[in-house]
Amino acid sequence: MMLARVADSLYWVGRYVERAEHLSRLSAVMLNATLDRTDAGAMAAQLARAAIGDPEPTGVSHALDAARALVLDKERGGSVLVSLARARENARQVRDQITSETWERLNLLYLRAIDGHAERAFEADAPEFLQGIIADLHLFKGAADATMSHGEGWRFMVTGVHLERAQLIARLLRVCFSGPQGRVIDDHLALVSVLRMACALEPYLRAYTADLHSKNILEFLLFDEDFPRSIRYSTERIKEHLNHLSRGREIGRGDPARLAGRLNARLAYTDVEDVEAVGASAILNTVEAECTGIHQAMFETFVAYPLEMRLPA
Amino acid sequence: MRRPDDYPAGLAYDEMFASAGDTRPHYELLHNRIQTLGSMELADRQHTLERSFLLQGITFTVYGGESATERIIPTDLFPRIIPATEWAKIEKGLIQRLRALNLFLADIYGEQKIIADGIVPRDLILGAPSYRRQMQHLYVPHNAYVNVCGSDLIRGEDGEFFVLEDNLRVPSGVSYMLANREAARRTFPGTFRQAGVKPVERYPDLLLATLKSMAGEWRPNPQVVVLTPGVYNSAYYEHAYLARLMGVPLVEGRDLAVHDNLVYMRTTAGLQRVDVIYRRVDDDYIDPLSFRRDSGLGVAGLFNAYRSGNVVICNAPGTGVADDKAVYAYVPSIIKYYLDEDAILPNVKTFLCRVPAELDHVLANLDKLVVKAVGASGGYGMLVGPHASSAERAEFAEALKADPENYIAQPTIQLSTAPCLVDGHIEPRHVDLRPFILSGEKVVVTPGALTRVALKRGSLVVNSSQGGGSKDTWVLSDDGGLTAEADLETAP
Repeated sequence: MMLARVADSLYWVGRYVERAEHLSRLSAVMLNATLDRTDAGAMAAQLARAAIGDPEPTGVSHALDAARALVLDKERGGSVLVSLARARENARQVRDQITSETWERLNLLYLRAIDGHAERAFEADAPEFLQGIIADLHLFKGAADATMSHGEGWRFMVTGVHLERAQLIARLLRVCFSGPQGRVIDDHLALVSVLRMACALEPYLRAYTADLHSKNILEFLLFDEDFPRSIRYSTERIKEHLNHLSRGREIGRGDPARLAGRLNARLAYTDVEDVEAVGASAILNTVEAECTGIHQAMFETFVAYPLEMRLPA
Repeated sequence: MRRPDDYPAGLAYDEMFASAGDTRPHYELLHNRIQTLGSMELADRQHTLERSFLLQGITFTVYGGESATERIIPTDLFPRIIPATEWAKIEKGLIQRLRALNLFLADIYGEQKIIADGIVPRDLILGAPSYRRQMQHLYVPHNAYVNVCGSDLIRGEDGEFFVLEDNLRVPSGVSYMLANREAARRTFPGTFRQAGVKPVERYPDLLLATLKSMAGEWRPNPQVVVLTPGVYNSAYYEHAYLARLMGVPLVEGRDLAVHDNLVYMRTTAGLQRVDVIYRRVDDDYIDPLSFRRDSGLGVAGLFNAYRSGNVVICNAPGTGVADDKAVYAYVPSIIKYYLDEDAILPNVKTFLCRVPAELDHVLANLDKLVVKAVGASGGYGMLVGPHASSAERAEFAEALKADPENYIAQPTIQLSTAPCLVDGHIEPRHVDLRPFILSGEKVVVTPGALTRVALKRGSLVVNSSQGGGSKDTWVLSDDGGLTAEADLETAP
């Protein structure tokens, strides 16, 4: 049992933290790719920007400017800075519900990002700056995992992380493997960049060796049961946590656990050959749409329910 | 040890140095320690202290222009030390005072005998904006109207403690007492251990016990919540801190709902009954149906649920009538009336401008007095005569004549000073003392306090809204062989 508003805030902490991490990683990969004066480099940079939802550059800006805006822009809704600020604002509203260890990691990260020196640090060594943020976010998640009780509040937060992650990876795959031009990436270096954007390079190599194919990458990031950034892994966690959260409650048709179970089953009983046959966009669109559905069902079930339905007996 | 030459001896009583220049015995340990640390080392420790407050998020929000910035309350690293004998008297005095004030509130919202007996004027009480007629004849368990009290004490030139103000509504600052203590244990660990300091860390669980004792006995395991106006309130940190340390939910008005005069909170598993609300929202805002209609912070129907005895609101609404600055003047008589005892802690001499003779005296002596508006708090609406310009005094004199009922005046008291680290130098700054008293089934004083510091040189205003800071307060568990000396020192 916890306050509905608190559950909602914890869920958003999870989402924003994951978003900040993903954006930082994409920015880092984009900056790194532009160092190569090759087509692969240009392509990787373009993919990263498209995956972020950055409008295709209309003659604008150097990659560094784009990255700076993406990371440090205070006005821009989807920047790393704004995501961190929102995660922290939500955490502050439920300060009594998270451990001091967890809170202090996030607060420190926020203070560092809004610090007047942040811009200078970014200019001086952007990759280092971004690696720092990513590492700090890992510390935050580690602190939450190691110090918070793995009860309801923590489950809401982790569900937020995995819903966000599943949607972000789905969008990344859609941009890379089912783009409007139906582009096929076969350049080795571009594929390396794609794997890096999902933080998946090393685990992929261990599973498939350095033989890079878009089909294998799709399979790994969609269906792998052990890799924590595959969509299948995330849906499994979402299902698990929502099963716990709706246990013993009369919820009925809009049960988010039911929706999560359905999405997870879809991924469990599909394989990469099916995907290849009809194109990746079908399943990726389904993943994105059903994640949105789970998100809404959670809100209606746990947070914004009508009062007269839920008086104690 | 003696006072260093660059530490000015002022008019005020200094907490560390006796007027002859000797270090007071209970400060010997700390003074020695400060001497062995160089100014660089002290500055380092001060920096570490501030950094740790910022990291923990012990901040208040300052709104200015379009942006809101979070600041830490300036915190000084030297503790203020109070010997055991002095504390024993303070503790007795505070308990006496709060017992009397609770009885006074029970009487005012009951039979009003004290008014009938002519001890306090009827219009002063019933005409006060903080008087809540809705509270009339309402049962309050243990007569504990004020569950959490934070009184402001000051030490005058002769070393005597006075009560300057009773804060009986929603007093704040206790989180700073606890945070300052945690920091001081790290800043001066050895000195802390040697000195034998009484612990303040029990405050959260004593608060929880106090709140639980307010619930009806037919509710065996009462659900306590802390009600906050929300994250934008300047004391939000404290609300979250107390909820976390008590292990109870921190709720906002929108989390609560009233149905059939029962109060519920919205949880992920539906509505759940609430028994005790430690509210950090002012009276005016707790229930738009009973008090201010435009309040979005409260809960519609809460007051009726309270009237029905289905929920307890702590502190009770309407306690402000007893900490009104004009009623303050009557507190010694109030103590006498209900307890038949003399006040252990004296009041500061107070002139009530509503009394014509006293108004004349105040107008004639504006340059020596501090004049305060009865309804104002936080250091606003106040004239410090000796520090004001003649134009300011003239302006205040007009206001006094126009609305004498709204003002009181007190002699300007040189608050005692304590050593503070200011720009790397150790300098005296004026301080007050805010201890916290809990009352439910029992009355308990936490052995410690928030010491507020006026950081501007010479300033007598300690409020955080007016550039005040704070420091830790050590109450010694015994004075060892130093007691006799300490007693001599405080004798007039």
